[in-house]
Amino acid sequence: MRFIRTVGRRLGAIFGRSRRDRDLVDEIESHVQLHIDDNVRAGMSPAEARRHALLKFGALESIKEQYRDQRGIPLLDRLAHDLRYSGRLLRKNLGFTVIAVAMVAVGVGVNTGIFTVLNAAAFRRLNLPESDRLVTIAQTFTGKVYRNVHGMPSLASYSEYRAYRDGTPAFSGLLAYVPYVEVTLGGEHPEDLVGTLTSCNYFDVLDVRPAFGRGFSPSDCSAAGASAVVIVSDVLWREAFSADPAVVGRTIVLNRTSFTVIGVAPPNFNGTEAITSAFYAPVTMQPALMRERVFPHGVLSDDNLSWLVLIGRLRPGVTIAQARADLAVIAARADLQHSGRVTHLSLNPATLASLPEVRSVVLGIGVVILASVALVLLIACANLANLLLARATTRRREVALRLAIGASRGRIVQQFLIESLMLAGIGGVAGSLLSFWGSTGVVRYLLAHLPGGSPSFEFDVTPDLRVFGYALGLTVMTGLAFGIAPALRSARTDLTAALKQDDDRSGPGRAGRLRGALVGLQAGVCAVLLVACALTTRVLIRSQTIDVGFKTEGISVASYDLAGAGYTAAHAQSFQRQVIDRLDAVPGISRVVPAGTSPLSNNHSATEFSSPTGEQAAQLEFTNVAPGYFRLLGIPIVKGRDFSDDESRGGTPVAIVSQSAAARLWPGRDPLAATLIFEKKTAVVVGVARDTQVSHLGVPESPMIFFVDTADDALHNQLLVKANLGAAETARAIRRAAAGLDPQLVINVGSLGDNLELWRAPARIVSALAAVLALIALVLACTGVFGTVAYAVTRRVREIGIRIALGADAADVLRLVMKQAMRPVMIGLTVGLVSAAAVSSVLSSLLIGISAHDPLSFSAAALVLSGSAIVAAYWPTRRALQVEPTVALRHE
Amino acid sequence: MDDKADVWQGTLALMVLKTLETMGPQHGYGIARRIEQTSGDRLIVNYGTLYPALLKLEQEGYVASAWGVSDNNRRAKFYRLTRAGRKRLAAAAQEWERTTAILARFLSGETS
Repeated sequence: MRFIRTVGRRLGAIFGRSRRDRDLVDEIESHVQLHIDDNVRAGMSPAEARRHALLKFGALESIKEQYRDQRGIPLLDRLAHDLRYSGRLLRKNLGFTVIAVAMVAVGVGVNTGIFTVLNAAAFRRLNLPESDRLVTIAQTFTGKVYRNVHGMPSLASYSEYRAYRDGTPAFSGLLAYVPYVEVTLGGEHPEDLVGTLTSCNYFDVLDVRPAFGRGFSPSDCSAAGASAVVIVSDVLWREAFSADPAVVGRTIVLNRTSFTVIGVAPPNFNGTEAITSAFYAPVTMQPALMRERVFPHGVLSDDNLSWLVLIGRLRPGVTIAQARADLAVIAARADLQHSGRVTHLSLNPATLASLPEVRSVVLGIGVVILASVALVLLIACANLANLLLARATTRRREVALRLAIGASRGRIVQQFLIESLMLAGIGGVAGSLLSFWGSTGVVRYLLAHLPGGSPSFEFDVTPDLRVFGYALGLTVMTGLAFGIAPALRSARTDLTAALKQDDDRSGPGRAGRLRGALVGLQAGVCAVLLVACALTTRVLIRSQTIDVGFKTEGISVASYDLAGAGYTAAHAQSFQRQVIDRLDAVPGISRVVPAGTSPLSNNHSATEFSSPTGEQAAQLEFTNVAPGYFRLLGIPIVKGRDFSDDESRGGTPVAIVSQSAAARLWPGRDPLAATLIFEKKTAVVVGVARDTQVSHLGVPESPMIFFVDTADDALHNQLLVKANLGAAETARAIRRAAAGLDPQLVINVGSLGDNLELWRAPARIVSALAAVLALIALVLACTGVFGTVAYAVTRRVREIGIRIALGADAADVLRLVMKQAMRPVMIGLTVGLVSAAAVSSVLSSLLIGISAHDPLSFSAAALVLSGSAIVAAYWPTRRALQVEPTVALRHE
Repeated sequence: MDDKADVWQGTLALMVLKTLETMGPQHGYGIARRIEQTSGDRLIVNYGTLYPALLKLEQEGYVASAWGVSDNNRRAKFYRLTRAGRKRLAAAAQEWERTTAILARFLSGETS
């Protein structure tokens, strides 16, 4: 009780401080006066009475301080005082404050911005009711595994889903879905749509009610094809149905199948993925909607096919561990059916990137970028530390005075740290605000300017508590990082030296060494970023200038989904022949060649090939192409011949292999007429084509097997069309020809150059990012060098003047100063290059065709950094040398 | 053993309370003078050290203060004992006597 009362009084004393101070002064004065009166009465003279009274009272300031400590809360008092003092100091040196705040703002802002995006992608829970109870389930298999995969291996089969759903009491509901299902929307203007196949409890488990109509009911999923119903998204409702309020009951045609609309999803609902979903259909409608892949056992009934994403809602109070235990029991039972196989389950809170394959990619990229921007922040901190160290030296006298009066060294450290934290705080707040506003804008811009053919995304980057926490933590750490060195250094001030203004110690010596070390740190980190920039720039240049080995001008690629439209193989064959005939008749179109995949389309299949006359088997990519493919693309056949028209009509399967494929399977031997064995089939090699980069950009040796295009392939083919009409006119001609045969078929036409661009885009983005970071780092590092040299030179003006007066050559002095200035830079540069060599393998997945230790890049980085540092050091030195020796000698 | 400062602060507070009980309301200077006299001029060196102690007692509610006029017409802040202070004084005095008695037995080497 007493304690509470005391604390209350002390807290209350924070207010009305000046009144209480006056009160105390009055009381002390009254005390002393009373004492003087007594003394005078006892016989002393007034002067002596006063002196005696004051003596008996004690050390006035010390007692006042004791009193104040007792009165308030000393910690808060000191804090408030330090804050006010720092504020005044920052306001006085506005130029310095602005620069420092700007540096911190840029550093913290960029870091927070990147983290905001990473948070939205990988850490933030979904924007659904009670989404912290939603958990994604992934399976990994070890041992003897034979698994069919559509999408990612960690997905589940339909039977596995039902077993988990019915046998796990830990979940109040378990849903399954297939993301990114591409279908064709029929109607007057057929177009491609992307939607989701879901289990019928999807909306129930997610706890979302459709805006109109109803959700799915269990009967909708009772059997394959049972219920052709669909729930459309808010956007599709507005676009395809003009926001008709009576939309329930109307029909839409998806993949030539009629679906009844039973509901409209709420606005701003996009399921659990980032890709925009235009519709939600029962998973049992899979045969109609997912026709682009042919699976041997059918999709719904294949127990061994990975294709469904599973998300469960935990019951209140149930932990993830309990849920995993429940699921493990069922998985073990399933493993009994597949002897030698062990299923491992991983449960993660549902985010936009909770599947293990997605998560590893997102986090992998995210962490690398975050580390890079953290390095930039580190340089900024080193710079600021140097600046503050220089300023601390100017304030030595002030600090010495305070120490002399009785401040403890801890108090000095505290005050300096408060200053740095204040600077960091202002910069951190400014940077965070910039980043919140900036990241939303940047993300919106990027999503609106994705390369053609990309799906559309919904990505919300509003900051949440985690982002604020990160920004706060980063700001505090930044403030401590650049503030600790000057604070500790100030506390160690030698009183006598400081008070005497003895300050000729700015070259060698402890202070100079610390500043040099900081410059070295900046140089090293800058070197790492410059190396990354050089490497990625080289990759960019290479990808832009590389000769891919085949022609791309004037060639368009037309793709269409015949399987999804319900064509049979025979129908597809007839369609293909007729389209080609029509296109051949168009003036300006010189050649049309069907092929399974177009070059650099990134959807080649691979399988194991072997040969009875060859060496060991190899996993190689393959595709099917018609005769004329090689002539169209300008790929020479170096041995043997191209396919003949007869061979494409049927008969013995034949193949053409690329040079590196031949070298892999028949090293040193002639591959012509050899037999290829693959997937229990055979083919005869009739020709060898020159190596080109049809499969991967930047990899000159792409082993590739080309099969002759036969009638059966027509169902899944694309058309390569060479024309001199220009891209737009060619596309129109192709669509016209196809529409004449089937007006409901959606034809996607792109140029072959687009495929190339898609491969180049990542290199462009990464090198742009690396260049920006490297540039910021270089500017910061050079500013640091400039500042340190300028500061050092100013303090040594007198020394320089003496040297010159004694007859030293200006060039010699220049050399001396520059050598001393560049020493830490060169040491830092070396260390930086070594570190860069150690970590550059992190980027190796991007560095197509360039070694991670490319000597040209490393040398370029070293040259740029040392060159810039020399210029930064030369400038202030030259200015100092231009000062007249007489003036210099008189400099204080 | 106890920190010397704490012991002195505790005993100083006790002396202040006792002085106020004996003398009635008094200003800081008067209390200081009186303590000095009672202890035979052997105790307080600086009068000013009294003031933080007085503040502490006031925060704890054992004394109350008010500005008034002294004997010789000087303006001064007077302190008086509160009811809580009176009780505290009685309890503290008792504690001291008990402690002294026990210690006395130890130091004289007596066994009971």
